[in-house]
Amino acid sequence: MQDILDVLTSRKSIRRYKPDPVPNEMIDKILEAARWAPTGENYQPWRFIVITDQETRDKIGDLSKLGSGKRMTAWYCLGTMQKRFEKIEDPEKRAEVLRFMYSGEVSEFCKQAPVIIAVIGDLKIGSVDVPYDLCAATENILLEAHSLGLGACWVHGPVAATRDAIKFKEILGIPTGMNEYKVICYVAIGWPKEQRKHPRPKYALEDLVYWEKFGNKERP
Amino acid sequence: MDKTAYFNDLMARTEELFYHELSDCVAWKTEFIGVDFIQSKDIRGGSPAEIIESCIREITAAGLIKGASYSIGGQEILLYLRIQECIHVPKEVKLLQGGIEPYNCPIVNMILDQLIEKLNFETTYLAELEVDPETNECMLKCAIFETADKIGNVCDWSDECRLIDEQDQWKTVKC
Repeated sequence: MQDILDVLTSRKSIRRYKPDPVPNEMIDKILEAARWAPTGENYQPWRFIVITDQETRDKIGDLSKLGSGKRMTAWYCLGTMQKRFEKIEDPEKRAEVLRFMYSGEVSEFCKQAPVIIAVIGDLKIGSVDVPYDLCAATENILLEAHSLGLGACWVHGPVAATRDAIKFKEILGIPTGMNEYKVICYVAIGWPKEQRKHPRPKYALEDLVYWEKFGNKERP
Repeated sequence: MDKTAYFNDLMARTEELFYHELSDCVAWKTEFIGVDFIQSKDIRGGSPAEIIESCIREITAAGLIKGASYSIGGQEILLYLRIQECIHVPKEVKLLQGGIEPYNCPIVNMILDQLIEKLNFETTYLAELEVDPETNECMLKCAIFETADKIGNVCDWSDECRLIDEQDQWKTVKC
């Protein structure tokens, strides 16, 4: 069996895409990967909506922009956003990055992604595991897209707030009842317009791993 | 039996559980908590001030709070609220004792809901909730956006709030 670590460690979230379409065969492979994610008691509660229509992508992009924009405008006004970007030394560049964030523009990139896959779960099928199963499927989508040379980004913000999640469901015709379907995220996919092979730095394992008991950093 | 204490205990346990599941984005999920009460009332008004005051009057009359003051600033995006003696303060105290910052205010959820429902505000966001168990007073900062193009209109809310306090721009709703 092949080691998948090279695929895992070279993946990063891609938010800028070329306009070129994604072939149907690739979309099918990505969906196939999602279908093989681990799922509690093999319930397979996931359902996927593949969106290529520009008007729908624009609506989702606008909703995403609104969600991020409202939160980040408030965070900027409270002074907390600025702290996140203190390490950008050039004041003009820092101001532009901040404006990009609090305007919400940071989150409307799905308008340019040729494909969006909404990951939703049937709450009546999935028993206790729905969010976890959906996250596993989403990770498979990201990894398969990356392995095919595509870029992708997992987007959770627009469906994290309850009112926005209802709007998202309405855009896609998903039943809006709280007892039916949960939208966990969407994934924007396209041919990357940015460098794919420079993931952001990660914490060292020794900062993350305990041995045998919480807090114990000594490997036995 | 103290039914208010009983229901606050239920809420605290539920909110503790929500927080454990969702951590810091939990507040994004709770915006409908409380709206059933205010939607059962006949809230009317043609401006944010009228809607806010109408809500506060109903909420106070029902005995959910003793009173409230508010001010709108920050290019009309900041809604600054001061709420006295809310019946849910014990719920917030219980969360604080468990190390969880309060995040769900049913009272402000009601007001923000009515800005959206009655004035078609595009969106709102509860940005800060501070509870003072000593004075039984809550201070809240919300972002309210009448239209989408108000997103990104930023300013320093600490300056705004200081001015509101110094110049006593609080509007206290008489009930």
